[in-house]
Amino acid sequence: MRVIADLHIHSRHSRATSQRMCPEEIARFARIKGLNLVGTGDFTHPKWVGELQETLVQASDTGLYKVAKDPELPVRFMMTAEVSTIFTFENEVKKIHHVLLTPNMEIAVQINDKLSKYGDLTADGRPTLNMSAPLLIEEIMAVSSENMVFPAHAWTPWFSIFGAFSGFNSVEDCYQDMTKHIHALETGLSSDPPMNWRLSKLDQFVLVSNSDSHSFWPWRIGREANVFELEKLSYYEIVDAIRQKDKARFKSTIETDPAYGKYHWTGHRNCNVALSPQEAIKLGNTCPVCRKKLTKGVEQRVEELADRPAGFKPANAAGFIRLLPLSEIIATVLGTDSPSSRRVWSTYNLLIESFGDEYAVLIDASIEKLNRLVDAKVAEAIVRVREGRVEVIPGYDGVYGRLVVFEDDYAKKPSLKRVKQMNLADFL
Amino acid sequence: MFKLKVSDAKLLRDMTTAISILVDEATFKIDPHSIKLRAMDPSRVAMVDFEWSKTVFEEYICTESTKMCINISELLKLLKRAGKDEVVELSLDEKTGRLQVKITGKYTRNFTMPTLEASEEEVPTPKLTFNVRAKATTGGLSQAIEDAQLVSDHVRIEADAEKIVFNATGDLMGATISLQKGSDTLLDLEAKESSKATFSLSYLSEIIKAAAATSDIATIEFSTDMPIKLDFQQAKEGKLMFYLAPRIETE
Repeated sequence: MRVIADLHIHSRHSRATSQRMCPEEIARFARIKGLNLVGTGDFTHPKWVGELQETLVQASDTGLYKVAKDPELPVRFMMTAEVSTIFTFENEVKKIHHVLLTPNMEIAVQINDKLSKYGDLTADGRPTLNMSAPLLIEEIMAVSSENMVFPAHAWTPWFSIFGAFSGFNSVEDCYQDMTKHIHALETGLSSDPPMNWRLSKLDQFVLVSNSDSHSFWPWRIGREANVFELEKLSYYEIVDAIRQKDKARFKSTIETDPAYGKYHWTGHRNCNVALSPQEAIKLGNTCPVCRKKLTKGVEQRVEELADRPAGFKPANAAGFIRLLPLSEIIATVLGTDSPSSRRVWSTYNLLIESFGDEYAVLIDASIEKLNRLVDAKVAEAIVRVREGRVEVIPGYDGVYGRLVVFEDDYAKKPSLKRVKQMNLADFL
Repeated sequence: MFKLKVSDAKLLRDMTTAISILVDEATFKIDPHSIKLRAMDPSRVAMVDFEWSKTVFEEYICTESTKMCINISELLKLLKRAGKDEVVELSLDEKTGRLQVKITGKYTRNFTMPTLEASEEEVPTPKLTFNVRAKATTGGLSQAIEDAQLVSDHVRIEADAEKIVFNATGDLMGATISLQKGSDTLLDLEAKESSKATFSLSYLSEIIKAAAATSDIATIEFSTDMPIKLDFQQAKEGKLMFYLAPRIETE
């Protein structure tokens, strides 16, 4: 069976999350999206664990959970969490985020007992722990060898293993002797597999993709995900497929265009400055507006660590599908800035009713059938995204990238014009 | 041997401040006739071109041409301790490689600071042909830039035979500041052809504000979408010029 899994989201107990992030709503929108497995997120938060215990029941012996009120809903939950570790390495402060997976609530509670020694688990759904990354792995794996940990959004400038501000240059530097327990690496929205393939030292890891969503809306949840082909949907099958790097079971990932991510290019949000790696290097990584250090984007960071040329593909690499949220596509065509506008929802709902879920629209729907249902431009845009025939103006310093489907989208939005700071070297 | 003496500490402090706008570590070229610096800021958007002839100083001794690199903001910290009419002497201790800074006024202070590895980079001046040349008061320019900064982070400077206009457009507000030829602010203007170019206000503002302390009159030269040159006329025999690269709108 095909399983599409988003293993990294957050509950309402994390900062900046929707207060309506409860298990029933997450499950409802996961189904609309087309996910059949979603992480609970935040199992380290005692109140959230309490809510999960009240609203979810075990799905037989799978190590997964389903909604108690609606057990027929084809969405399973996996106990997942994200933690932030803060520690010193070679006299530098490192703040690294990690995703934790565990097969049941009892083990989750045991993990929480261990982690509560290192920080206040009630302070945030994504707690900050005063412990090193290797110690985290040691503690988690001591609770159960079934657990899994992988670095979260590996390239974002802050709080990630390869981040430009407080990251490492290799997985081994971060996890030391505990690297043996690291089998996967979450690429994050601002990087995609081809970018990661440029580092030969990452070949040993499975590149997973998740949304890190703070809300259940379909333009957030499942915007990145993992596609498995399993005989039986269970925690153990999922984790084993990753550990074994089994291409027959771990089929591919669903990726947004990395330019869509908030940290793809280098720049300054407040100064409205977005620069390609080449432009940023030319300016000495200094903002031409405020003259402070630029927030280095993922593409530039990858360029620094890469030992292979762009376009290189390792022999054993899993595939990927490049998609964008359907609501974003519709909003772009309709010329509205908000994917939550009534006009967008009306077209969205029409498509979901007809095709069953969003992935089916994005991946499988024929142009003929789409044309019968919605505006021809919306239909054309969906197909163009699927075929990679769209442009995304790169995101930078916390600003999402912007989708451009048709040429005249440029004309509609004059703010797409950029003011480029020239360099004196151009005139010497 | 290298030694110089300035009878007015403010003169040295203001010039050091102007250089510090763009450069952290400054490599000065020192020869028996003058002390020079030409350097670009780390982003290579702006350049400072400075020279003081030996006649600027009460005393100037240089027996052999050399280069000296110092951390300019550290030197500035020391110079800020000197009062207006206090005497400052700088001398290079060749044995230790340290710069000695002596400030003499009501009492005497001796500081030492390290010199750094001198940059080997030879920075050429940009090869430019200017279509507009304007002479303005630095006070007037400062005011115009401050006005533009209220609404935007960049300004388009436009000139024809009669006037220079500073145009700033922000997300919400706009500003247009006109300087007429022959006014109290715009003392002279020559325009071979109408020209316009856009520049970062943070650079322009800091450069003009700092350089205005050393000079009352500035000559600005530019052409369409080319760098601007700002030449701040010095009272004594010296040169303080800045070049700033333009910003260009792209799709």
